[in-house]
Amino acid sequence: MQRSAIRREGSAFTGLGPVFMKEFADHLSSARMMVLMLFVIAFGAFPVASSLQQLRTVTESDAFLFLRIFTSAPDSLPISFVFALNFIIPIMAIGLGFDAVNSEFNHRTLSRVLSQPIYRDALLLGKFLGGLVTLAVALTALWLIVFGAGLLLLGLPPRGVEVARAGCFLVAAIAYGGVWLAISLLFSVIFRSTATSALCSLGLWLFFFLLWPMIASAITIGFAPSQIRSAEEYLAIEQIGLVLARFSPGTLFSETVVGLLNPETRTFASMLPAQMRGVIQGAPLPLDQSLILIWPQMTGLIAGMIVVFAAAYVIFQREEVRA
Amino acid sequence: MRRLIVLFALLATPFLASQAVAQLQPPVTQGLFLLTDYPAQTVRAGEVTTIRVKMQNSGLAPEPMALSLSGIPAGWKIDMLGGGQPVASAMPGQNESVTLQLRVEVPKDAKPGAQQVVLSAKGTRLQSAELPLTLIVGTDAPAKLSLKSRLPSLRGTPRSSFEYTVTVGNDSGKDLTVALSAQGPANFQTTFTEGFGSNEISSIPIEAGQTKDIKVKVTPPRDVKAGDYPVLVKVAAEGATAELRVTLQVSGQGKLALSTKDGRLSGEAEIGKTSTYTLALTNDGTAAVDEIEMAGTVPTNWKVEFNPKTLATLAPGEKKDVQVLVTPADKAIAGDYVAQFRAAARGESSSADFRITVTTSTLWGMVGIGIIAVALLVLLGAVARFGRR
Repeated sequence: MQRSAIRREGSAFTGLGPVFMKEFADHLSSARMMVLMLFVIAFGAFPVASSLQQLRTVTESDAFLFLRIFTSAPDSLPISFVFALNFIIPIMAIGLGFDAVNSEFNHRTLSRVLSQPIYRDALLLGKFLGGLVTLAVALTALWLIVFGAGLLLLGLPPRGVEVARAGCFLVAAIAYGGVWLAISLLFSVIFRSTATSALCSLGLWLFFFLLWPMIASAITIGFAPSQIRSAEEYLAIEQIGLVLARFSPGTLFSETVVGLLNPETRTFASMLPAQMRGVIQGAPLPLDQSLILIWPQMTGLIAGMIVVFAAAYVIFQREEVRA
Repeated sequence: MRRLIVLFALLATPFLASQAVAQLQPPVTQGLFLLTDYPAQTVRAGEVTTIRVKMQNSGLAPEPMALSLSGIPAGWKIDMLGGGQPVASAMPGQNESVTLQLRVEVPKDAKPGAQQVVLSAKGTRLQSAELPLTLIVGTDAPAKLSLKSRLPSLRGTPRSSFEYTVTVGNDSGKDLTVALSAQGPANFQTTFTEGFGSNEISSIPIEAGQTKDIKVKVTPPRDVKAGDYPVLVKVAAEGATAELRVTLQVSGQGKLALSTKDGRLSGEAEIGKTSTYTLALTNDGTAAVDEIEMAGTVPTNWKVEFNPKTLATLAPGEKKDVQVLVTPADKAIAGDYVAQFRAAARGESSSADFRITVTTSTLWGMVGIGIIAVALLVLLGAVARFGRR
């Protein structure tokens, strides 16, 4: 800190405000944002509409009926709203961040911006925050649309605990978007070509979305002994598979969502028969216990976002900008 | 003509004789008899008594028998009836009998004592028969009832019902309608039912000399203390009464009830930490419960302890607190579990299902925040190291 104090004049965040506001405004007014929003609404509205239609026919009492709008996958369309979000959010985040820095290079505007009293730190952070807040605004809007549609079509006010759980879900969704935004920002710093950056981001997303689950299960099978003798052994192997799968941000996000929106969830792994004794089936966990349950996943998302951003920052700082 | 008849008679005699012999085989004696079942019987002053008399002709040729009565006391009226009509003579066929009734009207003021009346029957030929009847004017025999029970003492708990079978006998000469009643301690309920019937009855008709079985069901109040309780069963009819004392031996019964002080059967427990709940054990019964042992069923690997583990005795109506210490297993998963706590004594037990919400320690939440803080520190370190103009 002392070193930086000597080298710097003023805060590292000088100029953060203007960069953030400009970036935010650019995003909101850009045609790309419009396209992304249409894409998101189309993908989000369809599952919600069909799940609402099914929920209207539900007659049994359900303490968490409102949360089912998010999680229920109707028979006609086996995609729930949260599953749709699981792959819309990365695309949206990548779309917002893949050309954040390298387009400035390509338009030769970076040195012009940096000649202003704006630190590089502030430029990168401002671009990241601008993207994140844009994402947050879009997701919040979507969330409110879903809530409003639920209120209109179910004619049932959500309970406080349901609103709290759905709110936590929104935070998790934004954090998940932040991870992908940081990843696309990293690639936009590494590659000068926007196309390469976009390809790499999307490639990584496809890798985690399609390939990683298969690789994880293959590795797990490799670890497994030829014969599983006890439930504990089975659980240990399952644990390996879970740990591997959790390297994917998508897994972290979906586990967070399950923990938050299905209050009955006690654990993501299987339970031993010994642990099943005396369990009251279907009893919902209190909100604080659900939060403790998903907290590691949440931590992974937030810490991952920060670490990826830090990597992008380090690379950006070491780059030669005078091109 | 006469000789011819005699000849016929001679020819027919062996026939008739053999027939007569065959018919008269049992009664060896020949003659005319006046018979009655009870030659000496009681009549009541002011009442009409009917005496059945039979005139039996054994092996004699039939002939009209004139009937007469002698020795009728002054003021009495005795009619001879045959087939409901007054008759003066009777003619039973050979080896047949005729039934007669003597309708005896005794005046109200007849003196007690025996009166001799002779009924005589006289044929036109030599045959005659006499039947002396002794009519005793007695005082009105009083109605008399008897009451018996084979099992006058039963044992049970306050919750059982006591059923006594009593036999009511009508020992008098008249049909009686017997009223039934019972006297027990306060709040004891008694009902009467007939033999195997289910209808409750308050009185029952019993013919003269007959007996009837009646069931008396006594239901003590639930909160009755242990002890012996007598119930007086009374039957009464026309001034006659009979009493029977039956006894209920009520043995007290303890009844345990397990709950908590405020009735809330749920609690929270943190994984690996001991939580204490206070159970309230009460004895709702009527007798003390001894040697109560506390036990609990909890999920696997959980620990459960009671303080105290055993209670020496719990008097009726008494309430004692029992501490239960529950420790969820280290590897328990957060959520709701059910644990069962039991209090058991000899023949008596009570259990309570307790819902335990297991919570996880927030320690790992802190660790998560620490990880995020470390990530932020890395970022700050990067800013410090690489930050430049």
